[in-house]
Amino acid sequence: MTQSIETAKKRKGILGGLALVAVAIGLYWSLAIAPPDAYQGEVQRIMYLHLPSILTAYLSYFLVFVGSGMYLWKREKRDDLLAHAAAELGVLFTALTIIEGSIWGKPTWGVWWTWDARLTLTAILLLIYAGYLMLRSLIDDENRAASAAAILGIIGFLDIPLIHMSVYWWRTLHQPPSILRPDKAPWENVHPAMLTALTISFVAFLLLYFYLLSLRYRVGEMRHEIKALRVERGA
Amino acid sequence: MGAWGFVSLAYGIVYGAIVVYWLFLKRRFRQVETELNRLRASEATRSDDKS
Repeated sequence: MTQSIETAKKRKGILGGLALVAVAIGLYWSLAIAPPDAYQGEVQRIMYLHLPSILTAYLSYFLVFVGSGMYLWKREKRDDLLAHAAAELGVLFTALTIIEGSIWGKPTWGVWWTWDARLTLTAILLLIYAGYLMLRSLIDDENRAASAAAILGIIGFLDIPLIHMSVYWWRTLHQPPSILRPDKAPWENVHPAMLTALTISFVAFLLLYFYLLSLRYRVGEMRHEIKALRVERGA
Repeated sequence: MGAWGFVSLAYGIVYGAIVVYWLFLKRRFRQVETELNRLRASEATRSDDKS
């Protein structure tokens, strides 16, 4: 038992170290190696944060979706713990995406915020999962809270395809995708140095994400163990 | 604010927020771990007393 805890701690340490190295390389590529954009100039470097953070948020909500579905089906606590941890991180990365987007919007669009379809749907996504976290804290019965949150976690995920398709379905200020385009491969559309910077930044965000997720999941697991011990003692 | 000002602001906020969240998570982790170890120790003492 003690040995497995030590191994898990060591693994987390390695993951954290790798994330730190990847972030440093990503920063170097994004800020020093990648060329400035022909139209937007240096401010386009915000893209190396913006795209990885929203893709990380989407991944997080996918884990909420899977964890919630599995919990409703199998009623296993570990699935609910995964969904809860992923929702918290999803909220963090969505909030960061909106902030970065706002900072990028000011010099390129002239405004910090506009009620564009993609921006509005992303703000709704943030509200849904902030609501998910609030819902869990408002219901005392742990199993009922987990079930209600799981339903919201699954419904909330439906917003993501809407966000992705919003730039095609509505006339928006937000540009269409540069990377996830149906008609062109990323390397046909983006300068190789820019694509490399983007890839390294994305890997850095993923490593950082899985490191934080493992910590947050363990916090949930230990809290659950504490509750179980208290119930056992009370019985 | 110039272009690099916006870039610095974005990078500063993002990595700053991630570091703050990490510190907050580490603190929560330590608190919960301490509480769990304390409960486990008292549980072990109780079962020793019973036997």
